[in-house]
Amino acid sequence: MNELRPPPSNTVPTETSDIATGPDDLDLVARSQAGDTTAFNELVTRYRNRAYAMIYNMVRNEQDAWDLAQDGFLKAWKSISRFRGQSSFYTWLYRILMNVTIDSLRRKQIEGGTEFDDQIGLHNIAPGASTAPKAELAPAERMSDKEVRQRIDEAIARLSPEHRTAIVMREIDGLEYTEIAEQMGCSLGTVMSRLFYARKKLQALLKDVYETI
Amino acid sequence: MKPFEEQFTAWVDGQLTGAELADFEKQLAEHPEAAAEKDGALKLGKLLREHPTVPPLGNPEFFNHQLMQRIAAETPRPVEKKRAFFWSLPRLAWAGAACLAITLALFQTTIPGGAKHIDKSNYFAQVVENWPGNPNVSASTVYSADDNVTVVWLDGLDYIPATYALNK
Repeated sequence: MNELRPPPSNTVPTETSDIATGPDDLDLVARSQAGDTTAFNELVTRYRNRAYAMIYNMVRNEQDAWDLAQDGFLKAWKSISRFRGQSSFYTWLYRILMNVTIDSLRRKQIEGGTEFDDQIGLHNIAPGASTAPKAELAPAERMSDKEVRQRIDEAIARLSPEHRTAIVMREIDGLEYTEIAEQMGCSLGTVMSRLFYARKKLQALLKDVYETI
Repeated sequence: MKPFEEQFTAWVDGQLTGAELADFEKQLAEHPEAAAEKDGALKLGKLLREHPTVPPLGNPEFFNHQLMQRIAAETPRPVEKKRAFFWSLPRLAWAGAACLAITLALFQTTIPGGAKHIDKSNYFAQVVENWPGNPNVSASTVYSADDNVTVVWLDGLDYIPATYALNK
């Protein structure tokens, strides 16, 4: 599979100084496969920030992101013997983290009886038609960074797990369609369709934000 | 042909080229709002990228520590060899057999066997049931196999009358 690209500038970088000076990932993986937990600990140190950021972008909650990152790394440790080096370690880890996160979002959706209304903002809108509601525009100077982030959090939280995953992978993690399809286990067409509706919905919810800042 | 949603997404992301792009742009002639939609989608992407909402991972060292503890707790430890109980079944069987052998050996060496005694002894003693006139008299016999002689021993008898003399 294609390697995941370096993280976009807005995401939390890997602890690159460790990578530059220490053994490479594959060495650490090999040692981890032999049961060396200190080697795995080193891998965790390298990727914990990226993992946490990626999960946080999905769940929008610090505690949940912490717990899911823990679960993801634990799962990676348990299945490290199955890593064959066909992709980079982070690509392999990314898939595990994403699956753990999507499973959690789905579970919460079922337990909480939450219905993600993907049609919000899409009623009576034909594909290609203007979707933005007549939102009251807040003056730019009145919307602080904190408020903008809060609005983004709230808007993303209203997406279904599938739409959220697609938009986060594309817009925040900067993945290509093929990579998203592979990570999500669906077709390219499904990815593009999910992106279409996720964007429509977010545009409906955030137009006043991006038009005024 | 791809559905409109897929083509529109590809168009927004600059993934349509050549004939595909030209065909789609012809379709868009019927959707004058499409350009604004694309512009909105691009602004949305910029907004998401430029306003990261991710707080820094708090206490990263504790993150590792907690994870390592979970790994230690969930990693199966190598099975420790159980300290074997000394009196295992085979050992008990062997010990029993040894005790039996010792007992038999002691019995054989310390307590004379009847048959063995008979084989080696030249004498055989037997109390003879008798009805003497004097209740103080008891009788016993001693037999010598070598001499083929039986001796009658009368205890408590003062004398033997001449008429009671035994003949060989």
